[in-house]
Amino acid sequence: MSAERETRIILISPASNITPDQLVRTIHTMGKNVTVKESCYGCVLEGKQDIVRGIINELRELDPNGIFTKVRAFHAGDPRRCRAHHGTRPGFAQLEQEWGDLWKIQRGLERADNGEKASKREIQEKLSVEKFKKICEVRQ
Amino acid sequence: MKVFIDPPNSLILFDLVERSGHEPLSTMAEIQEKIEKVELDMPPMNVSVEDVMKGLKYAGIEVPSGVRGRLAIWGPMIEAAEAAIIMEDCPYSFGCVGCHRTTLMVRYLLKKKNIPVLYVDYPNDEDQAKDLVVMMREFLEGLK
Repeated sequence: MSAERETRIILISPASNITPDQLVRTIHTMGKNVTVKESCYGCVLEGKQDIVRGIINELRELDPNGIFTKVRAFHAGDPRRCRAHHGTRPGFAQLEQEWGDLWKIQRGLERADNGEKASKREIQEKLSVEKFKKICEVRQ
Repeated sequence: MKVFIDPPNSLILFDLVERSGHEPLSTMAEIQEKIEKVELDMPPMNVSVEDVMKGLKYAGIEVPSGVRGRLAIWGPMIEAAEAAIIMEDCPYSFGCVGCHRTTLMVRYLLKKKNIPVLYVDYPNDEDQAKDLVVMMREFLEGLK
């Protein structure tokens, strides 16, 4: 990843009270040299790596468990991806699904902060040879 | 520490790994380099000659090109990884998006590398999400 340019997608959990507009206005008031684009799920933020990471840390203070972020490969407004230029959005189905489930992660983070432990994970046992033979045998 | 995440472009895993102070190894960062240096329009669907050669390091010539194309990006990430987190049964991982052959190959490469690997389930409800967060926190804190 280049230190010169970092593009981030910032997503707000559906259970959060923060709005994309609020997020973008907060970034604008910081007065940093970055590009911000408001979107339906939050915003796209682009700038120098250290500035972008500083902004993200400040944004997280608004709602520590409700704001999520990941790196984006393409520039903000890149014509190959931007909807205004009819760009394609491969991977949007995944992003949409994960965004829709962020409220669960938000609750999970809150419960983990309250000291709850993980429940035991059920490990599927291997199929025994006897059982497998029974499945394979043709009933007469 | 550098943590490989699978699915390698997962928002949930990327964010949670970064919150713990580790560096998530994601497809996005690799693709960014290809967009800027090689100027490919749509990696990993567009590949360069070097990608094809890189992919051959991880999978034989008889393996479908899609698998080799993916491994050309994920293979070097696995080589750089010091730990890995795998999220299983993701609802969007089906068809060519989920390429099961690549998934199997990735798991084989991780096993061969002998690094700590955590297997978690995709959170289908609040309890599973809590388990995911707690397990990831414990695993990532243990890496320090």
